[in-house]
Amino acid sequence: MFGYLLKRLIQMTLVLWVVSVIVFLMMSFTGDPVFMVVPIDATDAEIAQARRLLGLDQSLLVQYGKFLTSLVQGDFGNSYVFRQPAMTLILERMPATVEMVLVAMALAIVVAIPLGVYAGANPNSRISRVIMAGSLLGISLPGFWVGMVLIYLFAVHWGVFPSSGRGDTAEFLGLRISLLTWDGWHHIMLPAITLSLGTMAILLRMTRAGMMEVGRQDFMKFARAKGATRRDVLYKHGLKNALIPVVTIFGLQLGDLIAFATITETIFSWPGMGKLLIDSIYRADRPVIVVYLMLVALIFVVINFIVDIVYTLIDPRITLK
Amino acid sequence: MKYLSQTALRAGAVGVAVLAAAASMAQAEGKSVTIGLTSDPSHLYPLAGEELSSNIMYYHLYDPLVKRAGDLSFGPGLAESWENVDETTWRFNLRDGVTFHNGNAFTAADVVFTVEKARESIRPDLVANIASITAVDDTTVEITTPKPYAVLPNDLAELLVLDEEYTTATGDTDMDLKPMGTGPYMLDQWIKEEKLVLKAFDGYWAGAPKIKEVTFRPITNPATRTAALLTGEVDVIQDLAVRDVDRVKKEGGFSVITRPSLLNVVLAMDMREESPTIEGKNPMTDQRVRAAIAQAIDVDAINKIVMNGLATPSDQYVPSSHIGHVDGMNFREMYPLDIDGAKALMAEAGYADGFTMTLDATNNRYVNDAQIAQALASMLAKINIDLQLNIMPKSNFWGYIRVPTENSSFIMSGWDVPSGDAGSMYGALFYSRGKKDGYGQVNRGSYSNAEMDALVDQADSTPKIEERDALLQQATKILMADVPMIPLHYEQDIYAARDGVMLEPRVDKFLWAYDMDVK
Repeated sequence: MFGYLLKRLIQMTLVLWVVSVIVFLMMSFTGDPVFMVVPIDATDAEIAQARRLLGLDQSLLVQYGKFLTSLVQGDFGNSYVFRQPAMTLILERMPATVEMVLVAMALAIVVAIPLGVYAGANPNSRISRVIMAGSLLGISLPGFWVGMVLIYLFAVHWGVFPSSGRGDTAEFLGLRISLLTWDGWHHIMLPAITLSLGTMAILLRMTRAGMMEVGRQDFMKFARAKGATRRDVLYKHGLKNALIPVVTIFGLQLGDLIAFATITETIFSWPGMGKLLIDSIYRADRPVIVVYLMLVALIFVVINFIVDIVYTLIDPRITLK
Repeated sequence: MKYLSQTALRAGAVGVAVLAAAASMAQAEGKSVTIGLTSDPSHLYPLAGEELSSNIMYYHLYDPLVKRAGDLSFGPGLAESWENVDETTWRFNLRDGVTFHNGNAFTAADVVFTVEKARESIRPDLVANIASITAVDDTTVEITTPKPYAVLPNDLAELLVLDEEYTTATGDTDMDLKPMGTGPYMLDQWIKEEKLVLKAFDGYWAGAPKIKEVTFRPITNPATRTAALLTGEVDVIQDLAVRDVDRVKKEGGFSVITRPSLLNVVLAMDMREESPTIEGKNPMTDQRVRAAIAQAIDVDAINKIVMNGLATPSDQYVPSSHIGHVDGMNFREMYPLDIDGAKALMAEAGYADGFTMTLDATNNRYVNDAQIAQALASMLAKINIDLQLNIMPKSNFWGYIRVPTENSSFIMSGWDVPSGDAGSMYGALFYSRGKKDGYGQVNRGSYSNAEMDALVDQADSTPKIEERDALLQQATKILMADVPMIPLHYEQDIYAARDGVMLEPRVDKFLWAYDMDVK
């Protein structure tokens, strides 16, 4: 286990380093950030002053060196646009995103797993066909369209949910959480539903495929023969064996949604961190982009680590090496 | 299950009741308004940078010495009055008894501090025309300019005064989060990307604000902004999407408010002998070719088809409210749409067969900018100019077209002059390049006319505003004849508000709750 952890840690450091190098290189092609900061009629002297204040007057290599040295000291650099620590900018927006994603993922699981098991166990029933057709819709409808339709129907037309924003929040362990207030729940539903549809459809199809595969195995018939109820056979014996690929996808989707929920956040003006990434790309705000993408890489590494551990719980034959 | 849904319903009812109670409580405390903006401000510290949302916040929190009204007229702000001591020295008499939100008294020392702070900041342009500043006594400052400069007060309308003691103690980074000014509102709460709440500063020198609480909500997506207005979540929205205008008008209880903005979308033509994207000699050195291009462009068609009627064709380089605008002169009448006439001009200049060049334009800076560029390509094709389009996001654009303009022949960009004076624009855009420091730095077409330079020089060295106006009007006439640049149209600012909100949009787009009222 210790060896495994060490290996993971080295891998992670390597990944983070590569991400930082790639972003630094990429950003030298996306335009000069200084022009995003100065007025358009700025004189050369004014531009030079801004460049100096932002630390952009040095060569890319020196800038990267400075970035690495301050990184080691726990300083992730300041945003060119906001002039604030990049890490703070991201972290203060993160709880809102994570919260929305967790609700979306919970929704996805609660709907997808039972429906997927059902559709896998009864592939030819009419209900299964309806479920599968629905899941195709879930995969193919673009999130921004679904979001707009939900806003139009539930906010403007029927007035049951608010159109945008996060609503009231309550403090918990120093974090602002909207799930602790009724108004917060009220605001989170539409964005969470929008965000969950794609994942829901994928999980549902994965579960169904796994169940159909497992259903043909002999141990399923044995289990039924020894007298286990149909429900126990499906959920205890079947689902458990169909779950490995589902968990893998779940982990990847979770990371993906946390990192890139941008579209949903923009449509519902949800104060999350995805929008920060897009804004920063538009403004060539390299420090924020670097830290953001490194953080995303870290999130993926951690999620995959947890997924690995979950594997061993689902299937004792798998061990971490 | 039935039980569960009933509790949910009951909880819902309680929630609604709580909301209603909260709303009526706010009513009792005083008037409030919620405004939907297109983006969250980047800054609350005026010397940290500028963009529209930040500017809107600055003028709520801080005050300048000279106040610019919504119609671009200038009047006393923190300075009660000012006079010229001599041609380059100005004396500003400061308002007595003004305090910052923290109770500190506003004095001449704060003004001196602000000017010096600006010089070291990312915005030295704010004080570019100030040579020195001294505090004569607590309520008088003397400012000298490098040369006679008639519009110094207009410039000072953008310099927001900081509290020396507080700003020094707080530091630049924290000033963005904990602003402290003399303005009509104080920061109450700022949750990034969610909402920014301002509370009225009842000790405001011009009288306590009528609206006691202002909430700004950043709603980037235009359709969501409209939805938030229609559902009553916000009272006013900025930049109503063009396609939603009819929808909001049809809905009862809302009004759509439009006004021409200051942003003039212009086409700069390269006038060097050789141009980066044109083979051989540059045809646009010939005034007839430039005039032909102007006459081939159908601004009304662009307005109708691309802008949905929500643009105002430009008559000159600056709007009629500005110093330097010539009354009665109209670019559209001087160069009316006339394809045959344009073709004749091209033939006269020896380019009957036209030529090929590239237009550089943005796709995320101006309203429908990429579509305007496409329309231009098809219009210029009629006079045999093969216009290639090079369209890019604004993050790449400004560096790409930057003087010395090594890549561009034909550039579409926008220009606005909130200082109400054509001088700064003419000096930056039309003064010969590289002749004088601080002039011609954005002259992307390399236009050079000794007469024009002389007029700008004279305008920038007279302390009399009438003389400046006369000189700049002469400059305008030269430009209109020379056509170094084609003015297309002014974008229109579109707001929407629920009935009962009194809003008179400002020409400079800076929404100001102090001037608003709600019923």
